[in-house]
Amino acid sequence: MPAATNRQLAVRLAVGRALGRTRDLDDIYSAALNTLAECLDVSRASVLLFDPDGVMRFKAWRGLSGEYRAAVQGHSPWTPESVDAVPLLVPDVTREPSLEAYLPVFTREGIAALGFIPLVSLGRVIGKFMLYYAEPHTFNDEEVQLAVVIASAVAFAVERGRAHEGERRSDSPPGYEPNASVIGPWEWEVSSDAPASRHDGLPSGRLRQVRQCDIETDRDCLKILDLDGRLLYVNPAGVAQLGVEDSSTLLGRQWVDFWEEKDQEVVEEAIARARAGNIGRFQRPTRTLAGVMKWWDVAVMPIVDANGVVVQFKAVSRDVSAQWRAEAFQAGQHQVLEMIATGAPLAQVLTLLAHVIEDQYEGLVCQALLLDADGTHVRLGAAPSVPEAFSRRFDGQPVGPRVGSFATAMQSGRSVIVTDILDDAQWVALRDAAAQTALRACWATPILSSQKKVLGSFAMFCETSRGPCREELRLLETAADLAGAAIDHHRSQEALRQSEERNRAILRAVPDLMFVFSDDGVYLDFHAKDPTELLLPPEAFLGKKMRDVMPPLLVDSFSQAFERALATNEPERLEYSLDLSHERRFFEACIVRCDTDKLLSIVRDITDRKRAELDAAAQRQELAHLNRVLILAEQSGALAHELSQPLAAILANAQAARHLLDRTPLDLDELRETLDDVIKSDKRAGMVIHRLRELLKKSNAVLQPLDLNEVTREVLDLTHSDLLLRRMPITTALSPGIPPVLGDRVQLQQVILNLVINACDAMSTVDPAERELKLTTVADDECVQIAISDRGVGIPEGALDSVFDPFVTHRAEGLGLGLAISRSIVVAHRGRIHAENNADRGATFRCFLPLANGTADGVGGRDSVVAMMPPG
Amino acid sequence: MTDADPLSLAIVDDDEAVRTALRRLLRAMGHEVRVFASAEEYEAQGAEADCLIVDLRLPGLNGFELRERLRLRGCSVPIVFITGDGGPSPSDATAHAGTPTVAKPFSDGDLIAAIARAVSADAHLR
Repeated sequence: MPAATNRQLAVRLAVGRALGRTRDLDDIYSAALNTLAECLDVSRASVLLFDPDGVMRFKAWRGLSGEYRAAVQGHSPWTPESVDAVPLLVPDVTREPSLEAYLPVFTREGIAALGFIPLVSLGRVIGKFMLYYAEPHTFNDEEVQLAVVIASAVAFAVERGRAHEGERRSDSPPGYEPNASVIGPWEWEVSSDAPASRHDGLPSGRLRQVRQCDIETDRDCLKILDLDGRLLYVNPAGVAQLGVEDSSTLLGRQWVDFWEEKDQEVVEEAIARARAGNIGRFQRPTRTLAGVMKWWDVAVMPIVDANGVVVQFKAVSRDVSAQWRAEAFQAGQHQVLEMIATGAPLAQVLTLLAHVIEDQYEGLVCQALLLDADGTHVRLGAAPSVPEAFSRRFDGQPVGPRVGSFATAMQSGRSVIVTDILDDAQWVALRDAAAQTALRACWATPILSSQKKVLGSFAMFCETSRGPCREELRLLETAADLAGAAIDHHRSQEALRQSEERNRAILRAVPDLMFVFSDDGVYLDFHAKDPTELLLPPEAFLGKKMRDVMPPLLVDSFSQAFERALATNEPERLEYSLDLSHERRFFEACIVRCDTDKLLSIVRDITDRKRAELDAAAQRQELAHLNRVLILAEQSGALAHELSQPLAAILANAQAARHLLDRTPLDLDELRETLDDVIKSDKRAGMVIHRLRELLKKSNAVLQPLDLNEVTREVLDLTHSDLLLRRMPITTALSPGIPPVLGDRVQLQQVILNLVINACDAMSTVDPAERELKLTTVADDECVQIAISDRGVGIPEGALDSVFDPFVTHRAEGLGLGLAISRSIVVAHRGRIHAENNADRGATFRCFLPLANGTADGVGGRDSVVAMMPPG
Repeated sequence: MTDADPLSLAIVDDDEAVRTALRRLLRAMGHEVRVFASAEEYEAQGAEADCLIVDLRLPGLNGFELRERLRLRGCSVPIVFITGDGGPSPSDATAHAGTPTVAKPFSDGDLIAAIARAVSADAHLR
């Protein structure tokens, strides 16, 4: 937001510089195209204006062929009567049905996208400029806002240029160049036989015959002075411009007295130059006799006789007030923009703006009013020339139709012209206050933000009861535009300041350490509420590479997290531990991208939490182990059977071999087979012992990709004889080729074992013929499910939720830990488990475990499941 | 009873490794051996034998149940129970009802002695 308004200001200043000084229309078009290229980075553009017949015509262009211009000449989405014109953007010409007829033309010209930006003056479209793109182009908001800013400046400059051109055409005879003709002394031939001067002061003689016509019809104020500087003659245009009835009140008076005292020296100097045979020139303001302040561009030159002797002076004064005003306005506008850009207080900017506008027309006073943040009240912005007693009344007025044109303009979002505030319903509420002033007319226009939201209104007061002239209306528009830029900028700066303040407050409050890194891992900055919490003094890491400060293993983790954070723009979390002098401490870093190419790492010491988690996990591990020991104790008979089977086979085979050795001839094949069987059975016994040891061991979990079918089969191998003995017929439906889950083999075996034992217990009172234990595995995209289903007594209604709570048991044996531990194991594997009663009989326990590829994040290869266990 | 005095033996055990090893051992000692994976399989084939070697823990009918059925049918074939674990305790006289029982793993001597006890008890009963 601040960046956007800063850019807008920069563009405004650039446009001001490009368009400000020039009054020539061709120069304006060219400056407009330059500005578009510079500010919008668009190399192909054109400026078009409506001609007097309302036809849109190319005035200037870049990168367009004559053929193209001829083909689209006259096309316009607007007419000269269009109001509320907004830019029309065509990101892709092939998708714009209204332009279908022009598609072949666009294709030939290599145009894929278009922008139509209306040039609006006094609410009416006077023309447009076009932006052309060779590729489809998505217009962003900022681009469009800048285009509108440029369009408004171009429209203003075009109107001013046109007015200037009009003046030149109507004011001057063909070939006339302002004051150029006075360069060089006139050769004034005075006939010797005639009196030196006549009553009208004009020299007599031949030349007079030739020149009198010109002098009398000249539009400039033309005077003849005698050698003492007294007025001998004033031409009719001069009489009118000086605001007197006729020249009689002027003649014989010292010309220098018509100027302000401080300027009289300059005037004397100009006369002195003329006396010396040169031309004296100066520009000075002075009031006419009617009291109107005007700026004059003056040339004083000698009139010489036939012998070259200076006999009189001719002074030509040209009224350059309009030009001077335009320049002053231009300079003022620039100054306002500079002030905005340098962050001057809003009231100062608006005050200067009011002065700049007021300087344009005598008798005009201006005020800028703001719409309160509540959206319903008026706040005084600046009204430097409005009587204070009056302007004070505006502050706090509710926005509405009866409290002045300015409030109506805010409410309606449109210009409101009140020609007589003493006699207009819109001023009812403030009429008495207005009556105390000399102000009679008030013209107000809304101040809009770049998003076209009403921010306030700019109003002009005038002491005569009248409406604004065209030029005044244009000034009002410009003023509102500038005020909008000022308020926008002020608000965004304010928002920035508040956000910075908020950030500082947050920083003060946050106990975490913060580090700013460059994208290649150099420490740029840090924040520590308590600097003693830093493990190293700032000079030991600032400006250094991560690699030179952190342990190598950690550098890799951070580098990877940086890469991810930069790529995804999402926060990355990283847990790590550091071995400090006397203890290991745990940290959690949250890494976010900031300022496009930097990284912010927020580091929190989580040692206490981690220790609590570890304690809780250790307790769980103890319980889990106890659970396994209890299971094995219960199963000891079955386990002995599992072991005695292979041992029996081994012994029998070994003794068979001895008998075989006693035989002749030796049956070597039979012997070999016998020994092979010994090996096989021994391995089988070894496996049983291995599994027993695993189950009995207190070891940290090892996460690895596991085939849940395999884990299930291992459990069934172990419980085979027990199930047989207890007459639990078992069926399995293990989906072939299920994807692996990430887990600890022993812990998952334990879960299945618990669930199998639980199912058998539930069926122990059921007739053996009706028993069925069914194990099913299925996989979907996210997890593998194992379901253990029995046809037992089911779970009592209301106990479905508590069945996993520790020490809840529905059977005589056991501690009631099996299901609780199973759940904690499953949860630690980021899975879930639940129980349900079957529709017909018995219960089903379902356990869902996430796929190995889906759980890889945040779980290190040899990380412990214990570490993943939630605390408490 | 020696190698020269061959017997016809039937083994009922669901564990293939045990079954195969016992068959090999007893054949090496000169006996004629047939093996069955379950009580049901043995009953279906109705094999005659001098002695039946039955694992107590079997799928379907267990060792005791097979013995009951045989006795109810009037078949008095001598029986030796072999057992891999506790199950019904070998000292449970009622369950065993005098049937010789050997716990796995057992040596050839133990097994032959049990077979001899079963056969001689049978002879004694007759």
